Amino acid sequence: MSAGSPREGQAQAPAPQDRGPAGNGGLSRISRATHLKEALLRNAFLVCACVAVAGVTLIFVFVGYQGWPIFAKLGIGEFLGGRVWYPTKGLFGILTLVVNSLLAMAGGLVLGAPLAVGTAVFLSEVASPRVREVTRPAVELLAGIPSVVYGFFGLVLLRPIIARVFGGLGFGLFTVWVILGVMIVPTIATLTEDALRSVPEGIREASYAMGATKWQTIWRVLLPAARIGIIDAVILGMGRAIGETMAVVMIAGNAPVIPDSIFKPFLTLTTVIVMDMPYASGDHRTALFGVAIVLFVISMIFVASIRVISRSRGEGD
Amino acid sequence: MRRRSRVVLLLAGLVALAMTAGCSVGGPAQQKLTVTGSTTILPIAEASADMYQAAHPGTRILVAGVGSSQGIESVSQGTSDIGTSSRELAPEEKKLGLVDTKIALDAIAVIVNPSNPVRALTMQQAAAIFERRITNWSQVGGHDMPIGLVNRDEASGTRDAFSKIVLKGRDFDRTAAVLPGTGQVRAVVTESPGAVGFISLGFVDRGVKAVAIDRIRPTEATVADGTYPISRVLHFFTKGQPKGLAKAYIDFVLSTPVQDAVVRDAGFLPIDKALK
Repeated sequence: MSAGSPREGQAQAPAPQDRGPAGNGGLSRISRATHLKEALLRNAFLVCACVAVAGVTLIFVFVGYQGWPIFAKLGIGEFLGGRVWYPTKGLFGILTLVVNSLLAMAGGLVLGAPLAVGTAVFLSEVASPRVREVTRPAVELLAGIPSVVYGFFGLVLLRPIIARVFGGLGFGLFTVWVILGVMIVPTIATLTEDALRSVPEGIREASYAMGATKWQTIWRVLLPAARIGIIDAVILGMGRAIGETMAVVMIAGNAPVIPDSIFKPFLTLTTVIVMDMPYASGDHRTALFGVAIVLFVISMIFVASIRVISRSRGEGD
Repeated sequence: MRRRSRVVLLLAGLVALAMTAGCSVGGPAQQKLTVTGSTTILPIAEASADMYQAAHPGTRILVAGVGSSQGIESVSQGTSDIGTSSRELAPEEKKLGLVDTKIALDAIAVIVNPSNPVRALTMQQAAAIFERRITNWSQVGGHDMPIGLVNRDEASGTRDAFSKIVLKGRDFDRTAAVLPGTGQVRAVVTESPGAVGFISLGFVDRGVKAVAIDRIRPTEATVADGTYPISRVLHFFTKGQPKGLAKAYIDFVLSTPVQDAVVRDAGFLPIDKALK
């Protein structure tokens, strides 16, 4: 990638100059066939974009349509604020699940974000090109591992170790934090690395010229300069952590209570859908769609906050 | 490669055509049997239906798992020929004129880690453990070690039966780990010294220890003679005495090959021992 892009840049650079005068003078000389091809291409890309938008809209409408009755029946307060999730007794309060999801996400972030930012700093500032050649694909590969494999790894390898060291069964927040911490590394690390690379070289040189050490340059100059990109990266990592399902369902233990210890089983917003969907019916099923709506809204909040932060950067500059 | 597969497809199509033609013209009308009810019994009913259909072309056995109550209701209303049930008939259902054929036994073993010195529990102790009124193994004669509860998900027929027989309908402890399969419960108990769970007796292996309940060890003999308390009988109900295809299918399910292979594979125990 990095080797290819400058060369492409050089090849393309003269192109506008060539086309410029011809374009100005020869607009009428474009053949009808070319014109048609251009229009077709433009519409093809429009269709691509529309499919994505239609997909999101369709899912939102469907989930909303299926899940809305539970809000209407219980009221938003009782559904979101109810502390007992006990479907067979007709109790559909999801506060416990919301709290558990946030706990799982927060812990994963505390472990994963520093690891990811450290990895990004290493890749962008410290590693020699040869080391980078090996490290970067490894980090990218981490993103390609299916989440069920993370879950299996957590269940079969990590959980027994945690059970032996800390007692209990090994299901719980701690196990989930470790797995989520590793899972969000590639998301945050690649975006943070991009942010660090986009810091102009002149700023680094200025810092060194003033006698700053490498550590001082990274800590006092580069990380602050790239901070908005890093915050974006971390928010995307949060989205990944709170939406993660397969890996979590295998190691969380799925007890519908707020755990009194980080080594006790717990159930989250995503895992309740996996656990209950096969047999849920009636209000229970509707409530699961209600949970999906809540997840949808949470991820919308994340996307919106990235937008707001990016905009504030634009104004700041 | 592609051409050959097309030829095969064509041949298959011709054979299928010939078979349907043969049926509609020469052979007898296709016989149909509908079997609905318990999801616990579904694996037995399905596997034996497949075997029966393979051995008797021209028969079609439809099997559906809709729950025991639904099964009893549909057979009494005549919408299905056999209603399968993992529970006995309720008093008002006994007036419906249903004939009971017992087809298998299901026993649930309370399993602990082999390193756990606890060998026996009373029914009350077992219930107290799963309700978390007892939280340490030392309270039931074991080491001073916290009890790690492993429960099944609510879709599980085993959980349903355990809850009815042991807890008498009271609630499981809500902080227990909930795992979506027998294999997972067994694996966790195999690895964790303090864990306790429950699985069908047919799935107990060397990695776990099944404890005695009320001094009765869960074995095929104690289940068959009815002394092991956490067990139940699996039923086929028919409206009146079974006849025709229904009788043939039930006899097939009760035959030794099915009882020894299908029933055991599904984690249950054959009925023939109990009948003798």
